[in-house]
Amino acid sequence: MSRGTSVRLQNLTKRFGRVVAVRDLDLEVNPGELVAFLGPSGCGKTTTLLMIAGIYRPTAGHVYFGDRRVDPLHPRDRDVGMVFQSYALYPHLTLFENIAFPLRLKRVPGEEVKRRVKATAELLGIGGILERRPAQVSGGQQQRAALARALVKEPQVLLLDEPLSNLDAQIRLSARAEIRRLQRELGVTAILVTHDQAEALAMADRVAVFSMGELQQYATPEELYHRPKNTFVAGFVGSPPMNLIEGEFTGDGFRSGELRLPLRQAPLGRGWLGVRPEHLRIAGEGHPARVLVVEPLGREAIVIVELFGHRLQILVAEGEKPAPDAEVRVAFPARALHYFDANGRRIGPE
Amino acid sequence: MPLLPRNWPLWLVVLFLITLPIGAGILWLVLTALYNQVHGLVPMGKLAPQNWRFLFEGSVGGRPSIWVALKNSAVFAAAVATLEVLIASMAAYAISRMKFPLRTPYLGMILTLHAFPAVSLLIAIYYILRLLGLFDTLIGVILVKASLDLPLGIWLMKGFFDQLSWDMEMAALVDGASRWTVFWRVALPLVRPGILALGTFALLSAWGEFILPFTFIVSAKSWTLALYMQSFMKEAFVDYGLMAAVGLFYALPVFLLFLFGQRYLLNIYSGGVKG
Amino acid sequence: MRRYLTPFLFLGPASLLILLFFFTPVVATLLLSFTDLATTTFRHPSWVGLANYRDLFADPFLKKILANTARYVGLTLAFNVGMGLLLALVTSLVPENWGDPFRALWLLPRILPPVVYVFIWQGMLAEAPMGLVSDLLGVSKNWLVETPWVAVILANGFVGASFGMLIFTSAIRAIPRELFYAAAVDGATTLQTIRRVVIPMLAWPILFVTAYQTLSLLTSFEYILLLTDGGPGFYGTEVWSLHAYHLALSNYFGNVEFGLGAAMAAVLVVIGVVVSLFYLKIFNFRALVTEPKIEV
Repeated sequence: MSRGTSVRLQNLTKRFGRVVAVRDLDLEVNPGELVAFLGPSGCGKTTTLLMIAGIYRPTAGHVYFGDRRVDPLHPRDRDVGMVFQSYALYPHLTLFENIAFPLRLKRVPGEEVKRRVKATAELLGIGGILERRPAQVSGGQQQRAALARALVKEPQVLLLDEPLSNLDAQIRLSARAEIRRLQRELGVTAILVTHDQAEALAMADRVAVFSMGELQQYATPEELYHRPKNTFVAGFVGSPPMNLIEGEFTGDGFRSGELRLPLRQAPLGRGWLGVRPEHLRIAGEGHPARVLVVEPLGREAIVIVELFGHRLQILVAEGEKPAPDAEVRVAFPARALHYFDANGRRIGPE
Repeated sequence: MPLLPRNWPLWLVVLFLITLPIGAGILWLVLTALYNQVHGLVPMGKLAPQNWRFLFEGSVGGRPSIWVALKNSAVFAAAVATLEVLIASMAAYAISRMKFPLRTPYLGMILTLHAFPAVSLLIAIYYILRLLGLFDTLIGVILVKASLDLPLGIWLMKGFFDQLSWDMEMAALVDGASRWTVFWRVALPLVRPGILALGTFALLSAWGEFILPFTFIVSAKSWTLALYMQSFMKEAFVDYGLMAAVGLFYALPVFLLFLFGQRYLLNIYSGGVKG
Repeated sequence: MRRYLTPFLFLGPASLLILLFFFTPVVATLLLSFTDLATTTFRHPSWVGLANYRDLFADPFLKKILANTARYVGLTLAFNVGMGLLLALVTSLVPENWGDPFRALWLLPRILPPVVYVFIWQGMLAEAPMGLVSDLLGVSKNWLVETPWVAVILANGFVGASFGMLIFTSAIRAIPRELFYAAAVDGATTLQTIRRVVIPMLAWPILFVTAYQTLSLLTSFEYILLLTDGGPGFYGTEVWSLHAYHLALSNYFGNVEFGLGAAMAAVLVVIGVVVSLFYLKIFNFRALVTEPKIEV
């Protein structure tokens, strides 16, 4: 099957009445890449996807597939395949006819339709249930059928709108790997919309984090984790989220109320200090704190402590968890700290 | 009600009593059609096949054959139902699922017309049909009937289209369909209950329609069953047996639907169809 | 505008028919009402201004027709709403498998062809031996002539009652069951439950049915036309809408007075437009409009 095209969004803006859903978005997806659009609901990620599909018309800006400008085109002229959260299978048609639908619309000859539907269905492991209707198969099988329908016309771009969120937890993990494998094999450019950061980080080559209609950061999963561009990304990526303490940088340290931390290369002025729960340690030395809550997660536990009036989350190994109400000492790591200015923009270190 | 009163059989008796006139009326029609003579609800004498002579004689008292009227009624009802379902579905689909300028006022107009009493327009419509050269034609009456029931049909179908999933339609567009294809191949099959409801309602309403053909049709060759039957009412001597038989014949499809589709009828008429 | 071509194509046929048979007739009714169009002047009608309206109000029989109309609308409406309410309540007080057939039975008058339905009434009210009423009362008379108003109101009422019945039934079904349980726990009898729980919840549906049927009764005349044709005698049961129809389309005297009939119809049209616009306002129409999610 053909290798995918690149997708380029240029100054893309979408307004609904007075509400701005997507603002001035610039973003490029490389051919064959899988990119995740990540963000809370209402952040503009699905709106962007629907503009790429051609369901919504951009208020301003353009969409390019390779060198071809597609934003004035009808969805059918864009050569995209799409999987919806609800799967959107046609309930009055069998799985076979569902998958064949895009080919029938292109007036592909009957024999070829049969061959291609069969092949795609085999690829997804649903070759044996093609005569059933959507209501007669499981959620996992519906999801595969939806994927088959999106892939059968060999699109240049595959759009996935929360394709896994209606699946049971166990199937979801295997489906993640399955989609990733298929996408690599077919070499199709794919865009995945999700609100689940674990899914985005696990599946995507690059992740675009959205909030309130604006692109916050567009980077590899590693980069997002280690160098979040602002406090929103810092708080959204990672579970449990990064601790953020508001205070003042003094050039050689950080100050917030009674908390004082000596830092190398610290900036100057008001801002935020960020530290991930997994990087804080409960140790013999450090700042005095009181344990408020202990949430066991199995292999690990989240400990919520109060430290000079700040609530911090700390991730500890199961065996090392303190008792509730205990007085402990919390050590900040020398590395793995994040500095943000008063507007939440990353200012260091480096 | 969720809790049945202990004395519900008593209420059943009340219900039976207030419904008695309807039952008596139907029984009266059937008996009068079947027997030579009926005193109240007591049949006298023998079965009277001569009441049904209109089926075999080419013409009763100079009227056209009942089969001509039957054919006209069938054509009228079928054409009205088809037109109404088709045109109402198309308009309802656009109102429910498409963006266009003045969409909200358009919907408001439909709703206003739905409440508007269309019979008050008959006089002007008479004039318009004459101007269009459609007076005294079946086509003219079909168009008028389908049009006057259109706001109701659009309103009903809009409710059904509103419930369709947007994802499904988006999927069809991405799969390569135009809006027109989506309408025919995805949306229409999925609102089949609505089509059946509106279709049944339109068929029943057109089958019984009296005023429009009465006003806009003159020639006996275009008579519907309503006009055929009504022509007997004007006579000085009323042959009750014959008329009851014609009436029973005319109302037979309605009775069959009532006998076999009660639940279905209740659902349709509870679904916002106007009275 | 090109992007709106598709919706306009979808709306085309409906818009054309609505334009042709709703909008044009509304305007035509008003225009005709200012002319002297009649059988004698069909070729050369001329504008007469408000003459038709002046004639209308000068008509010595206007009072009688107004009184007839008020009586017809008022009493039929009372029967419709009252009977509808009674039926909805009583069919809800018996098990569902009894309630539904009775509800369906009450639909029959509405779905029977009006000609057949009216014929049944005529037959039942006729002289003995055919007439059931004569038979039961032991007095052989044509009761349609003796008591025309009873016949007109009952014949219309049996058709109209099912409208209220269906609306009230769905309203009763929409009442949360907990309210009934709570009433039962509080020791309410069936009648108390109806009065204190059910009826208050039906206030809005009752208003709706009353408003809706007032307008449709005011303009409907099909069953009267078939049953008495405005008789017996001179204007015995002639109501406004029927009179307009008679004047314009089937005049006793052979000279169809189109303009005058149109003037009477115009009054109804104006009432119809005003009242249905008013409904639009009170029944919160905006809530029914949602934005489409597809923009192609």
